[in-house]
Amino acid sequence: MELERARSEIILNRKKRKKMIRRFFRHRSALFGSMMILFLLLLALLAPLVTPYTFSEKSDDLMQAPSGTHWFGTDEMGRDLFTRVLFGARISLWIGFVAVTGSLILGGLLGLVAGYFGGRWDMLISRLFDILLAFPGILLAIAIVTILGPGLNHALLAISIINVPIFGRLMRSSVLRVKEEDYIVSAKAIGASTERIIFQHILPNCWTPLIVQGSLSFATAVIEAAALGFLGLGAEPPIPEWGTMLADSRPFIQTAPWLMIFPGIFILFTVLGFNLIGDGLRDMFDRK
Amino acid sequence: MEKRLMRWSSWVMLFLCFSLIVSCHSGSIQKDQGSMLIYGRGADAKSLDPSQVTDGESFRVTQMIFDTLVEYKDQNTEIQPCLAEKWESSPDGKEWIFYLRKNVKFHDGTPFNAEAVVFNFKRWMDREHPQHKGAIAFTYYPDMFAGFKGDPNHVIQSVTAIDEYTVKFVLNRPLGPFLANLAMPPFGIGSPTAIKKDPVQFGEKPVGTGPYKLREWKKNDMITVERNEDYWKKGFPKTDKIIFKSIPDNAARFTALKSGDIDLMDGMNPSDAIQVEKDPKLQLFKQQGMNVAYLAFNMRKKPLDHPQFRLAINHAVDKKRLISNFYANLAEPAVNPYPPFMLGYNDELKDHSFDLGKAKRLIEEAGLKGVKLKLYTPQDPRPYMPNGKKIAEFLKEDFKKIGVQVEIVTFEWKTYLDKVKSGEHDMALFGWNGDNGDPDNFLYVLLDKTNAREQNSSNIAFYTNEEVHQLLIKAQSTVDRTKREQLYRQAQAIIKKENPWVPLVHATVPIAGKASIRGFYPHPTGGYKLDQVEIIEK
Repeated sequence: MELERARSEIILNRKKRKKMIRRFFRHRSALFGSMMILFLLLLALLAPLVTPYTFSEKSDDLMQAPSGTHWFGTDEMGRDLFTRVLFGARISLWIGFVAVTGSLILGGLLGLVAGYFGGRWDMLISRLFDILLAFPGILLAIAIVTILGPGLNHALLAISIINVPIFGRLMRSSVLRVKEEDYIVSAKAIGASTERIIFQHILPNCWTPLIVQGSLSFATAVIEAAALGFLGLGAEPPIPEWGTMLADSRPFIQTAPWLMIFPGIFILFTVLGFNLIGDGLRDMFDRK
Repeated sequence: MEKRLMRWSSWVMLFLCFSLIVSCHSGSIQKDQGSMLIYGRGADAKSLDPSQVTDGESFRVTQMIFDTLVEYKDQNTEIQPCLAEKWESSPDGKEWIFYLRKNVKFHDGTPFNAEAVVFNFKRWMDREHPQHKGAIAFTYYPDMFAGFKGDPNHVIQSVTAIDEYTVKFVLNRPLGPFLANLAMPPFGIGSPTAIKKDPVQFGEKPVGTGPYKLREWKKNDMITVERNEDYWKKGFPKTDKIIFKSIPDNAARFTALKSGDIDLMDGMNPSDAIQVEKDPKLQLFKQQGMNVAYLAFNMRKKPLDHPQFRLAINHAVDKKRLISNFYANLAEPAVNPYPPFMLGYNDELKDHSFDLGKAKRLIEEAGLKGVKLKLYTPQDPRPYMPNGKKIAEFLKEDFKKIGVQVEIVTFEWKTYLDKVKSGEHDMALFGWNGDNGDPDNFLYVLLDKTNAREQNSSNIAFYTNEEVHQLLIKAQSTVDRTKREQLYRQAQAIIKKENPWVPLVHATVPIAGKASIRGFYPHPTGGYKLDQVEIIEK
């Protein structure tokens, strides 16, 4: 009898998951967003195959407008902008991925500890989050990079740090909700270890909002990385970072606008793509 | 129904936002009677007391308010009379007598005479003088005359008034560039009455004998000067009013010029210069570059003390492409530390060819393949180097090919100055704008061993050649032109052999103005006589 019920529940779960996935793909903008990101990812991965140039190769074709040989034109050193933008996609996606993963893991763990153990731990961690949140994000990132010195890895670290409290607070609030559920109480009553309760029972029931937030944070991380690059605190030249490329294009707004337009468009599409995915995920998990 | 209302109100909001943006743009400068010139530039003046400042933006204004004893000719750095009508010197160059112009008055009515000149010099040189005070610091005086009164090397022994219109200078030692120094804008003569009243406030309320008086100073926005009706030079100034408007962003300033908000501008992106030449409503002035951009080796560090390494790097710099890529061809490749039109330029010296193969061989022979170095470069544009970061990026690629790995390090300008002047760098991109048109102002300042200091060093290659030092000192205290010329030629030959730098370029400085502007000469010192400029409306 019990077995029967459990089996039907599993089937129900499976059905539910199928329904969720279907909901995601029926969400037209989410589908569009994920196609955009997939396309970008492919371009970034296959960059060396797509373009015959390398991103730091100089030539004598200075400041050429977009054409058949140089799809996005060239910059003042005669470097092919299309190549630079593609390799820039690698940098931006990498920054987004690492920064979000880092802040998700760190923030998630801190939030878990704060939410589950409560008391002094909660006090300490929550105040830490409050302090971090009291700074405007980008300002804090600039401060961190200024202290550590400019560079891609330092920018990565800074972006991870400023995103930690966002994930942490989300996690903490979900843990607080789940902690009071009956199955946790019963697990405790059975005598399950704290580790088992946390990792087997609490964590799997808390991760959905984090996933949604993760895809949205991916978008902001890309923007923050570009902002740091724009301020000269990002990757070391000649690494083609989009924000740095934008900053470098400023003197040429009148004479060679393509230097600004293409990196700008790619930042736009990346951010838009991740935001659309985030929206889709939220609708998918949201049981109305 | 509600939806329609929403849509309506959003359109209204959009319109409001738009009109707000438009109205912000139009509220700039109001025109009134009289002719007017609006000069756009990158930054505001720091102070208007010329003895206190070192930046071109401040001098641009003080030159309109103050006159110097002698001045440069309109288009070169030769000297012509200004407040002093004529002068003579003793054969040994230690005594100078200046005969001053009569019937000149300061803007506040104080008569200009020998006493005023003596007062100004005493204020600058004597630390004990009651008015030896100002808003910032006396920097140029000790730089040009080797310290203040009482310092061991100080040049001026005494300044005395012989009669009402005659001043006598007695020098401790002859100084080759003495007259050239006196023509520099920091040595503008101010009204003793106004300075005695408040020497610190003098920077806000400057009083001189110049073609214009200060009318209004809105900090970080604009400075307005108006015609001095009693100016001694008849027929000048040509224009009733000049407004110096600060617009920090180069592209925004250029847009302001194209839309007619300003009449004349400096600090152009070189790439915009081509657009100016094509536009019939604008004209391009090319200021001969009395400057040099260079890559300095920190010769105190290894392996930069290795002559072969420095030679190799010299062979690895492609100056021709540097100029086409970053200067829009508005520059000349540099061979020596100062530009060819100046005194004693050694035109027999040939530049090291761009030859990566040879450079690579030299590096390998010296056993320095794979060496890692830090290349410092400024973040902000300079007149001699519009984009230091990009130049560093460019050099990095070629250095990689000869087996030298470079890490690019950049800072904003003020921090950058501190860092390179205390010798933190391995290699640094840097440059110099000449002050007075004398070679001493380049070679002594940038490459003499006395200027290779621990802190605040102006010789950032830390080049300390005794022979060069002797030649430069000798040239400094010689008044005879041909003798000085020879000494400087010799010094350049030694420098070219030892390569403390890679001299990169002498940049031509583009200035853009409306096509209707007449009488503007872009002087190589960067000091423009704007009182001669007029706008001819067709």
